[in-house]
Amino acid sequence: MKAIEVTNLSYCYPNGMAALKEISFSIEEGEKVGLIGPNGAGKSTLLWHLNGLLPEKPATTASVHVMGTPVLETNFAKIRAITGMLFQDPDDQLFMPTVHEDIAFGPQQLGKDRDAIGVIEKRVLAQVGLPGFEVRHTHQLSQGEKRRICVAGVLACDAKVLALDEPTSGLDPRGRRELKVLLLEMPETMLIATHDLEFVVEVCTRVIVIDRGELVADGLAADILNDEALMLAHGLERPHILRHRHPH
Amino acid sequence: MASISVVIVTVALPRTHWQGYAILLALLVVLLISSRLPIWRITGRLLLLESFVFVAAVLSLFQPGGGTVFFSLILKGTISLSAMILLVASTRFLDLLSVLKRLRLPSVLVTNIALMYRYLFLLLAEAERMSRARSSREFTRKRRRVWHGNALILGHLFVRTSKRAERIYAAMCARGWPV
Repeated sequence: MKAIEVTNLSYCYPNGMAALKEISFSIEEGEKVGLIGPNGAGKSTLLWHLNGLLPEKPATTASVHVMGTPVLETNFAKIRAITGMLFQDPDDQLFMPTVHEDIAFGPQQLGKDRDAIGVIEKRVLAQVGLPGFEVRHTHQLSQGEKRRICVAGVLACDAKVLALDEPTSGLDPRGRRELKVLLLEMPETMLIATHDLEFVVEVCTRVIVIDRGELVADGLAADILNDEALMLAHGLERPHILRHRHPH
Repeated sequence: MASISVVIVTVALPRTHWQGYAILLALLVVLLISSRLPIWRITGRLLLLESFVFVAAVLSLFQPGGGTVFFSLILKGTISLSAMILLVASTRFLDLLSVLKRLRLPSVLVTNIALMYRYLFLLLAEAERMSRARSSREFTRKRRRVWHGNALILGHLFVRTSKRAERIYAAMCARGWPV
């Protein structure tokens, strides 16, 4: 089954500016895809369409399907459970005072009872490598811990498809490495919008390039990121990690 | 719970039931001493809030028989305030939240209070960062300029906060908050 299917998706900002123009692509279950492009290309805007946060007025015909379910207002509850969003700023995402409350937020909305939530919480905290963090205050975590708790909060909703917006921004090398290991271990389908091209090389098998709201390239990560002309034409560059890859 | 009942009893007491007030005050003093909280800080907070009570009470002097009303208002105000201040100073915020939940306060309200508490720190940190950035490029010490700068920071903070509120709401929706 296709995990994400986007067909002819267009979107204009309320001020009339076109943000996405006729975008179409599909992602298989379990694929990890990098979404790259210069600032203002429409990466975040595209991600926000995956669970109906955009457009402001919910669409009447679905141009996005997630796990076969059309993203329409009638399906929002289901769509939002299976599509996990990781926002750019973890402080926007961790909106409850403690880790426990934050992780419990999603399952509570899904109508889970207290015992079930306790079990889920234990499982997801172990999964992100932060067991025992239930009692911590969200504002006292390090940036890397915040990211991983965000992932835990999303996993707690049983998300099958993750949309990650700049997951490595603000992370120190250790935080970035730990996040990389975590994402590589996870079986979920992922669409990762980022400027961190080395991260894309390390985590993703496939890359989609968008610029000014248009899809300009879609293919194997190694092929696209190695195409210097393409990269430079769209405000990107060939990552160093690919230049210096030695056969040893 | 006890603090809330103290407030309710105080408000419900007849105006001239002076013994009642005395008992409540004594109870609070005992609580204050046994709680081992820094007495000066508590009194400071009380005095700050007392000014509002005082203004409200002064207004009552303009009605016939205002004297009694004035004194009882001041007493009621002081007792209620001290009860609440003691509660807040002696209880962790998160415990207060869970008590509110248990008291069956609508969950929307509890969530709202939790959000306020969560973002208070962030807001303060943001204001601090902005004012530090301003001071690093500030060359004059003219009072008018400084006030002007403060006003700008406050305005900008408001814009940023409302943008953040939108993003937080989106994050809540993304995890199933009722649309």
